[in-house]
Amino acid sequence: MASIEKGKLAVDNTKLEPRTKILMMLISGCLVILLDSPSALLVCFVASLVLVALSKPTLRQIRLLLVFLFFTTWGLIYSQAIFYNESPRTVLLTLVPAELPFIGKATGGIRVYREGLFHGIVQSLRFNTTLVIGCFIVWSTQPRDLLLALVQLRVPGTLAFMVTTALHFIPVIANETAAVIRSQRLRGFRYLRLNLLAAIRGTLNSFRPILAGNIRHATHLGESVESRGFSPDTANQRTSLRTLKMGIWDFSLLAVLSCCLMCIVGLKMLYFCYANGIYYASWLRHAYTFTRELL
Amino acid sequence: MSHIEIQELRFTYPSRNAPTLRGISASIAPGDFVLLTGPTGCGKSTLLRTMNGLIPYASAGTLSGAVRLNGKNVAEQPLAATCRQVALLFQDPDRQLFCTLVEDEIAFGLENLGLPPEKIKNRVALALKQVRLPGFQARRILELSGGEKQRVALAAICAMQPQVLLLDEPTSYLDPSATRDILTIVKQLNTELGITVILATHRTRDVAPLCNRVWLMHEGQLCLDLPKAAAFRELTPYYRLGVQVPQTENASIGEFAKRANEKLNVPSRNDASPQSPMLDIRSLSFKYPNTDKHALKSIACTVTRGEIIAIMGANGSGKTTLVHLIAGLLRPSAGEIAVAGTALKRMKLHQLAGKVGIVFQNPDLLLQAETVRDEVAFGPKNLKFPPKTRDTRVNVTLTQFDLGNLASEAPYALSRGQRQRVAVAATFSLHPHLFLLDEPTTGQDAQHLHQLMDELCDEIRRENKSLIFATHDAELTLKYADRVLLLREGELIFDGTPDVAFAAPELLQQASLVFGENRAV
Repeated sequence: MASIEKGKLAVDNTKLEPRTKILMMLISGCLVILLDSPSALLVCFVASLVLVALSKPTLRQIRLLLVFLFFTTWGLIYSQAIFYNESPRTVLLTLVPAELPFIGKATGGIRVYREGLFHGIVQSLRFNTTLVIGCFIVWSTQPRDLLLALVQLRVPGTLAFMVTTALHFIPVIANETAAVIRSQRLRGFRYLRLNLLAAIRGTLNSFRPILAGNIRHATHLGESVESRGFSPDTANQRTSLRTLKMGIWDFSLLAVLSCCLMCIVGLKMLYFCYANGIYYASWLRHAYTFTRELL
Repeated sequence: MSHIEIQELRFTYPSRNAPTLRGISASIAPGDFVLLTGPTGCGKSTLLRTMNGLIPYASAGTLSGAVRLNGKNVAEQPLAATCRQVALLFQDPDRQLFCTLVEDEIAFGLENLGLPPEKIKNRVALALKQVRLPGFQARRILELSGGEKQRVALAAICAMQPQVLLLDEPTSYLDPSATRDILTIVKQLNTELGITVILATHRTRDVAPLCNRVWLMHEGQLCLDLPKAAAFRELTPYYRLGVQVPQTENASIGEFAKRANEKLNVPSRNDASPQSPMLDIRSLSFKYPNTDKHALKSIACTVTRGEIIAIMGANGSGKTTLVHLIAGLLRPSAGEIAVAGTALKRMKLHQLAGKVGIVFQNPDLLLQAETVRDEVAFGPKNLKFPPKTRDTRVNVTLTQFDLGNLASEAPYALSRGQRQRVAVAATFSLHPHLFLLDEPTTGQDAQHLHQLMDELCDEIRRENKSLIFATHDAELTLKYADRVLLLREGELIFDGTPDVAFAAPELLQQASLVFGENRAV
């Protein structure tokens, strides 16, 4: 079945070095954790989308990304809007009144809260920014370059190899999952049917061939690389046919991102000290306002 | 030059009670070309893995005895050291290649050896020349044919300049033309560079002319170890184990076909009475997304009830695509397919259950139940057969496919041959009008395969259903098919009886199905 879907080779149209991409992901990961303001997070999210756009993704990749973004955004906003448990909270809409028999009485009512919606938007922007950058790295970097970059970033050789191998397995798993689902349907199984228990059982059963297939693939690949002299003990002593070299764009981008990160960390610390009565300086008033309003 | 000595080698996998290797002793001289054959599950792959150190290093189990390479026990030296001397090529190229570019794939082993980049570049170029793919460095592996991928895999191990080459069913996924290429290269490496070759295969007929020594394995033991000249004088052991035997005379495929038909009394298409079509394909074309080339172009044919059809062609000719289209797994870009008078495009996949059944090249993708009985009952249960009818049908199917004694076993615990049998039975339990079988020969020995095909064809004929199977195996087609469809680059170049197809060498040449001019030992 592997031949049904022809995978697309990772082509880097941004010409960024893999180490830059990995470091960029780490920095942006820190940034989205530090930032609380939806507008600042929106800027990060838009910047990550620009990055993906620069790598010229295929239509299929755009579709896939949109599906990912839709489900994470919807899932996070919906769950936070309903299950938001902090105070104060403002009811926007009542889905299930508390007086309704059974569900209403059991749950105490299900409502959508304004603060929960807001919190969901913040969380989804955080999550989506890292998701988009992750997709950008996977789609625009060849596994061999990624392996080399991880090793050069002092990630243990075995771990680096595991990461790149895991990426290699994504399309394999997708194809085998599709084959298993199709073969089940061709034997009369319907995933969407009224008997929920049977549907769940069938879905769980479908994991068996997928899991077994993946274990087999991993074993074969492991044997293949080990019989070509790859060893966890000597992984960091490997030489490399390719060399990675950072260019002016890589250094510039990393410098800008690092400066942003350091500034934000500094401003957040100052604001923390001010808010907790540890330290206050009147000449920093604008910085406090900026941090509160925009970061 | 390497001298290999195997002494009283025994190995038991942790999950099994019985040993897989039972006291094997043999010796291989430098430059030997050994053909290692035997039925499925006899221990060929395990023996090869002990010879390059994957057992015991990468596989748990109990090992005793020794494999000595130039006097040194393989189990006592680091795996990386053994890999410099003994290289292993696996059967499925897709499962052993993991880089994007050819150059990176071949360089991987050399980088592990710690060679400097300049030397790696030279060795990559040399290895590509050896496998007749010069200038392929920058090619993407995804874009290569199955045969080219296997040659890249061979180059990846040749670049490490091993003294011993172990090949585990290297041609089982390849068409005859690609098989010929691989075997010619291996023979060249053997004669010109003096590399010792041990090649495990079920395709004895293809490899026998190249080897100088034959090992026949059965239940973990080496039951025959002879020079080629003596190995095929007495064929009884091969027949007894259901192992393919090489041709002992120079017979043309046409004559072979004639003999096969005489012997088996296979009804030809002309004998069949006209019946309503079970399958009707009209102007079928198909293009994979994001590709410019058609995988199938203007295919038209009909299949009547009770017919058994073989689809043949080179790797990438469109066999699997056609089978998947007929099963409704893919949607045609143009044209129509109708099964028993109903157009497939109007039906959802689950509505095809009981009309079309398919067993993939990898039967494991079908096996999802806890027991063999549950697996066979899965389809009838989904179609909501009354419990009594369902039980009867499951019991009959288990008996038909000789699975009665395995009914309570977990499908995954069975051997490859048995797993394929379960997959076939599970698909057959719905009694589909049209049964599709994709490359049933992969990884199967002749005995298991013919036993399964005998049972399946009997049932298909008895119930007046139709069977379509995709294969590279001429013998299988000659023995079982009433008709053969030859595909070449997505086009149907022949639709007729096997004896006519196999009597036309130019046709077989066009379909890349000719292995060689002289296949006799």
